[in-house]
Amino acid sequence: MSRLRPWFLAPAWAWWAVLFAAPLLIVAAYSLLTRGAYGGLSRPWTFENYVRVADPLYLAILGRSIVMALAATALCVLLGFPLALFISRSGRRKNLYLQLVLLPFWTSFLVRLYAWLFLLRDTGLVNTFLRSAGLIREPLPLLYNNGAVLLGLVYGYLPFLVLPVYATLERMDPALVEAAADLGAGPWASLFRVVLPLAAPGIGAGAALVFIPCLGAYLTPDLLGGGRTVMIGNLVQNQFTTARDWPFGSAVSVALMAIVIALLALLWRKAKNPL
Amino acid sequence: MKRRSFLIAAGLCGCARDRRPRLNVYNWSNYAAPNTIPRFEAEHGIRVRYGTYESNEEMLAKVMTGNSGWDIVFPTHSRLLAMLENKLLARLRHEWLPNLVHLDARFRSPTWDPDLSWCVPYMWNATGIIYDRSIVPAPASWADLWNERFRGRMTMLDDPEDVLGACLEKLRLPFSATDAGDLRRAALEARRQKPLLRAYLNAEVRDQLVAGDVLVAQLWSTTAQQAIDAAPRLNFAYPSEGFPVYMDNAVILRESRRLETAHRFLNYLLRPEVSAEIADFTRTATANGAARALLPAAIRENPLLYPPADIFARAVWPQPLSVDTQRLRDRLWTEIKAS
Amino acid sequence: MRRWLAVYAALAFAFLHLPLAILALFSFNRSRFTVWEGFSLRWYQAAWRDPQLAEAAGNSIAIALAATVIATLAGTACAYGLWKRGSRLLTAGLYLSLVTPEIVTGISLLALFQWTFRWLDWRLGMHTVILAHVAFSLAYVVIVVSARLRTISPTLEEAAMDLGATEWQAFVHATLPALAPGILAAALLVLTLSFDDYVITSMVAGVDSETLPMVIYALARRGSSPVINAVSAIMVVFFGSLILLSERLAARGAR
Repeated sequence: MSRLRPWFLAPAWAWWAVLFAAPLLIVAAYSLLTRGAYGGLSRPWTFENYVRVADPLYLAILGRSIVMALAATALCVLLGFPLALFISRSGRRKNLYLQLVLLPFWTSFLVRLYAWLFLLRDTGLVNTFLRSAGLIREPLPLLYNNGAVLLGLVYGYLPFLVLPVYATLERMDPALVEAAADLGAGPWASLFRVVLPLAAPGIGAGAALVFIPCLGAYLTPDLLGGGRTVMIGNLVQNQFTTARDWPFGSAVSVALMAIVIALLALLWRKAKNPL
Repeated sequence: MKRRSFLIAAGLCGCARDRRPRLNVYNWSNYAAPNTIPRFEAEHGIRVRYGTYESNEEMLAKVMTGNSGWDIVFPTHSRLLAMLENKLLARLRHEWLPNLVHLDARFRSPTWDPDLSWCVPYMWNATGIIYDRSIVPAPASWADLWNERFRGRMTMLDDPEDVLGACLEKLRLPFSATDAGDLRRAALEARRQKPLLRAYLNAEVRDQLVAGDVLVAQLWSTTAQQAIDAAPRLNFAYPSEGFPVYMDNAVILRESRRLETAHRFLNYLLRPEVSAEIADFTRTATANGAARALLPAAIRENPLLYPPADIFARAVWPQPLSVDTQRLRDRLWTEIKAS
Repeated sequence: MRRWLAVYAALAFAFLHLPLAILALFSFNRSRFTVWEGFSLRWYQAAWRDPQLAEAAGNSIAIALAATVIATLAGTACAYGLWKRGSRLLTAGLYLSLVTPEIVTGISLLALFQWTFRWLDWRLGMHTVILAHVAFSLAYVVIVVSARLRTISPTLEEAAMDLGATEWQAFVHATLPALAPGILAAALLVLTLSFDDYVITSMVAGVDSETLPMVIYALARRGSSPVINAVSAIMVVFFGSLILLSERLAARGAR
């Protein structure tokens, strides 16, 4: 019916074929090959890499990564929702606050990680401050553990949650809250029974946008975790660099994506059904 | 050709285009003095694009494609066999490298390339233990790093070869062991050590050593020297069980279309005064014997950078590994990190 | 409740900005360590004089601009086309590209380029980085613009066409103006993502296409250098003013 539509969709289809499907097909093909003698690829074609992925060691890594990503997502929701709520109710200053949330993004992601290293080290600012205030005697081990990694993940991906939630809250009709107030609901009641349910799609989108990168993160666990932990992102990255085992790394990547797709499909189904 | 048309467009813009011939050199970071490249450019009228990397893997990932654009890279000796097997190297023509005579006698005929047909040894370093002098008695062997008194103040390198190697040497097993049983025992040692460690860190630990956060670390000699320069209370020890020594070599990639220019650059690097300037500035150990003679005595005789013969006798050159060994080591490393 | 929210927001903003503020503060530190040793501009001088940094910054900007233009155009067109009538295959592909971890996107694109370079005499370079950035950012554009499109009623275009406009005219004069803020938001998002990207860029960059994050990573790997502090402070100030400026312009436009 629309004559323009094919033209409009053409660049996206080109992207789909060349920059999306082809590379992934190549990775899938790699996952079925074998590692060459000194890195690189060679025949035979085999499923061996997938068998290797099913090893309890790697499954445990995957499990741990999922738990970490869920924790980071939950923290982002808890910390980000009130912030988004505040911004959506700030009238004229809305855009300014929004930009303030985005501003840290304009420095390099690595710089932000190093800022935390700077702060959390034994001789970093936090410990120095606490010691000079007499609150502690020995420096606290704030770095190189799961807590530090969680902090880094939340810090890096909080804006990804704030933006969609804000977008949803902004479009919400303020008359609804007024109506609730008229019916006798206090501010907290109307928050939990009116605002939160309406913001749910935004929270869902934000949570997905946080969960996925957290699952595949490798820089944050590497730098803030001191190389003590292996998350699935580290595993993939290791296979493609140090171990030079591209086929196995590809198999892990495919397995990872399969799981994420399954999770999302489940959420999709659940989100559609209540409607 | 997108690149050519971009260049043409830029040229048409009237921007001053550099007409000199080009050479692309990809080296480790901190492996050249500030004057090294400009002097070469001035002498030979060649424009050098100088890129740096932090690890062999980073470099190999680019170079393995066979189409990376680099002419000269500096792999560590244990990676040369892999590059050779993948047909990545160009054969060197010694008639274009008269300065080869300046190489230290020890490295004229190295085990990884006896004829020097593929590489020119450049700088070398070793792995050892750096520690704060306040620690008494000072650590002197790998086994000392399993001591409870260092809990939380010690790091090891984030490198499977170095960590597993240290464990193997602690157990008096060969550094480049291929036996699965040996490797498993080494991995067990590493897992026993992990609770004592603060983290697995590479060059980043230097600042923590200087600041005093970390008291003991497994570290490369070059980085250790830099730390000691900043904090003289630190000291370095070559472990008594033995230690690995690594040679970074200059090679020319087969994909290079500027073989003669590349040879000229290698020959330039082999000049005693050039090599001496680099070794002095970067605090690395040079493979160039004539250059070492030119260095100030304090550096030339520095036992950290240039360990005396009796210590050097304990050194081990890591070997390239077979696929199965590599795979086992990689899996063991993942187990260690995930534990 | 408003008060609690405001207090909380203040804390949250502090959390977001404190690390960077500290970093910026210590970029003026004469010493390279955490101990304050006096005010000094030496790190800014070092950053200014560093040719590698300058070139990397230039590359980052060029790549970000190119990728933004391409991705925003293609993404907006795609969102519009999908708004008219969806395509399950295309949408699935877009979502899947969001789901793919960065490292997988990076290596898959590297593999693609390796394959193509067997037949074309190309090398890794600026063009491969730009293509890679378009590859991972297109989906974001489609999502943002689609969200905006959902707030626009299709009857707007239908009315325009009833009044005699062609489909193209209806798009340009009816839908596009309403879409403009969404397109701008998407473009800003791509600019941010492209400028900040390290993982994918490092895999597909070539000889002449080192970007700022890559240089910063290399510098940081060698131990903390206050030059990084100086660079990040410069970036925050520069982009902060850019954003404030666009705010002023947008506010003026709205009036």
